[in-house]
Amino acid sequence: MKTRLKNLSLRFKMTGISLLVNLIVFAINLALLFGINRMSGQIESVYQANLQLNELSASLKSVQDNMTEYLNAKTSDALENYYLSAQEYSDLVDMLPSDIKASSMSRMGHSIKAMSESYLDEVEQTIDGKRGRNVEKYRNHYEEATKFYGYLNTEINSVNNEQFKENRMTYREMLNAFRFFETFGNIVMIVVIIINAFLIMSLTTELIRPLTSLTGMANEVSAGNFNISPLEVKDEDEIGVVTKAFNEMVVSIQDYIEKIRENAEAEKAHKEKELLMESHLKDAQLKYLQAQINPHFLFNTLNAGAQLAMLESADRTYEYIQVMAEFFRYNVKKGFNTVTIGEEIELVDNYIYILNVRFSGDIHYEKEIDSTLLDVEMPSMILQPIVENCVNHGIREMMGEGRITLKVYALDNTACISIEDNGIGMDRDTIDHLMSGTPMTNEKKDSNGIGMDNVLARLKLFEGTDDVIGIESEGPGKGSKFTIYLDKERSNTV
Amino acid sequence: MTQKNSKFHSILIWIITLVPVFITGLLIVFFFSYTEKIGREEDEKIYDRYYAMIAEDSDSDFWQSVYRAAKEAGEAQNAYVEMIGETLSQSYSTLELMEIAVNSGVDGIIIAADESKEMTDLIEKAYQKNIPVITLFSDIPNSQRLSYVGVSNYNLGREYGNLILQMANSKSFSGSSIKVSILVDANVADLGQNVLYLAIKETVEGENQKKAFNHKPIEITPFSVDSTNSFSVEESVRNMFISKDKNLPDIVVGLNEIDTTSIYQTVVDNNAVGSVNILGYYNSESVVQGIERNVIYATVSIDTNQMGQFCIDALSEYYEFGYTSQYFTTDIYVINQNNIKKYMEGNADEN
Repeated sequence: MKTRLKNLSLRFKMTGISLLVNLIVFAINLALLFGINRMSGQIESVYQANLQLNELSASLKSVQDNMTEYLNAKTSDALENYYLSAQEYSDLVDMLPSDIKASSMSRMGHSIKAMSESYLDEVEQTIDGKRGRNVEKYRNHYEEATKFYGYLNTEINSVNNEQFKENRMTYREMLNAFRFFETFGNIVMIVVIIINAFLIMSLTTELIRPLTSLTGMANEVSAGNFNISPLEVKDEDEIGVVTKAFNEMVVSIQDYIEKIRENAEAEKAHKEKELLMESHLKDAQLKYLQAQINPHFLFNTLNAGAQLAMLESADRTYEYIQVMAEFFRYNVKKGFNTVTIGEEIELVDNYIYILNVRFSGDIHYEKEIDSTLLDVEMPSMILQPIVENCVNHGIREMMGEGRITLKVYALDNTACISIEDNGIGMDRDTIDHLMSGTPMTNEKKDSNGIGMDNVLARLKLFEGTDDVIGIESEGPGKGSKFTIYLDKERSNTV
Repeated sequence: MTQKNSKFHSILIWIITLVPVFITGLLIVFFFSYTEKIGREEDEKIYDRYYAMIAEDSDSDFWQSVYRAAKEAGEAQNAYVEMIGETLSQSYSTLELMEIAVNSGVDGIIIAADESKEMTDLIEKAYQKNIPVITLFSDIPNSQRLSYVGVSNYNLGREYGNLILQMANSKSFSGSSIKVSILVDANVADLGQNVLYLAIKETVEGENQKKAFNHKPIEITPFSVDSTNSFSVEESVRNMFISKDKNLPDIVVGLNEIDTTSIYQTVVDNNAVGSVNILGYYNSESVVQGIERNVIYATVSIDTNQMGQFCIDALSEYYEFGYTSQYFTTDIYVINQNNIKKYMEGNADEN
């Protein structure tokens, strides 16, 4: 029963509460109404006795009148009426209370009864006398009867008065009681309203309690705390259902989070593996290419060529091959390691020499170098690509003698390397494009494959700052100038 | 823990709901039982017997006192005593009241009335109806009355006589003799009054004959008072002062309550306090006041409680044994300056 009640739906529970409250009010109202009804009935009954007495008085009068009429006229009608009224009167008298009590009504009822007997007796005698034409007799008895009639009338009137007096007190008391009852009823109603309010409050609190704890739990969950014990489901109502669903939801959210975490970990592992594989692959490719180049073979071949040139006394050829060997060795030996400015400049020297041989001394190369800065460290393969860029884009496309000036100088704590050409120069767009570090699409195949973007990226990584290179050009046909800024303190000697 | 809590909570809710409802119901029930009582007679007691009491001046303190005593005594015997005529809307003579009583089916009649032929006839009628009649205070000896309850008029007379002598001895009077006026009812051919008058006279004269007195001679004269209607007594008493202006009595004796009150009032009104001494009858409020103020010398009082008690005793005895004593004599006592305080204290206690 109790569990069934508990499992009712919330709607029914709410209805039940309001029904209960209304029932209480109804019951009390009913009781109050019952009381009012009863009291009005009592008030009505107060004057019942007076009515009874009035009736008695009227009946007595009718007896007396009928007797008198019979005495006057001696008609059979009058006699019949007399008998009827006497019977009626006798019946009414019998209905009077006759116990001897302190209250006037019943005590005087006793007197009236006795007196009525005497009276009716006298009346009877009078009628008898009249019928027997005994004038003396009926006159005497008539007198007696009339005397008794007077007494009776007085008694009935008196008791009526007394009754009225008593009843007035009763009536007043009843009225007072009625007024009191009115106040009482109002107070009861007010108390009931207060109780009902309390009742509704406590019942709904009880009803909503799981909802409140659910809210608290939901707040916890939304704050990210999934480590909560599931809520207890007490009733099988809507809140119970919601609570159950909530419990399941919390559990399944926890499951999902676990799953997502596992997935992420798996993916991460997968990616790492992929990256590893890629690097391995590159490594392998590089090794493969390096193996193909076989620098020893290349250098031995070039040395053999140099020796052959020396034997034939072709000094220039010898020098050229020697420089070329140096240039390639630098590429293979240093790769992407850190080098000094001096080593880089040596590479540029070799490169220019080779170019000048190739293009029969087109490029006029000047150097202004602060020799104290030659030991400052820098990434390898930086200056040569810049120079190559100057040659390929600046000088080659211009008419006349090309000039490249390389300067190394100190500026405060910075070692600056500037490479200046007198080539066709650059417009602003090209400079911005170069500075942004995006690879050039129309890269020539005859370079050693290192683009400006790579140079820039490596310089930035090495110095740990973006402010590593400046590109200047005074406009098309006025040459261009690259300046590299390096930290002077980072040197090999330290 | 929470389960326990919620269980406690639900119990609390039921208590909160049911207790007020229960209390309200209880209050309503109480209220109804209270209103139920209002309509009904407070006393549901049903009496075994119903005795009627009839007296001429039923409103006077004296008769009311006797009536109260009788009523109280009757209550103890489960008999209801009613002063007939009190509740009637019309006022009747004692004869008429007697007739009503005889025809009202009462179980006993206590009547204080003068002796007359009609009354004797009515007592006869009652006798035929098996209603015992007790004559109170004034006897109707030649009738079928059951018994008489009252004072011995002779004793009463002696008491008055003694009081007159006492006054004659203690006070000084201006005249050559001490004139005593005794108020007697002119309309009553009552033996009792005569006996009383004679007893006074006898007592005073008996003393005179002893020759042992040392006071002036005492002259006793009756003074007729007309008591035919309610106001004639007062008029008669006033007449005494007007007609006998130069010859006022030294002592006036009132033999009933109304006479006494009238004399008291008249003496005060005529500035005769001190020159006219009053011997009163009964201890009504105004008489007691008179004694207190030293206007009335003394009053002879009757034990009204005893009187009422005797009436009921006589009737009860009759119903129990079929017969009872013919005479019941009530005690009399004198109230004067000496014992007025004590009397009043006793009265206060009684009240």
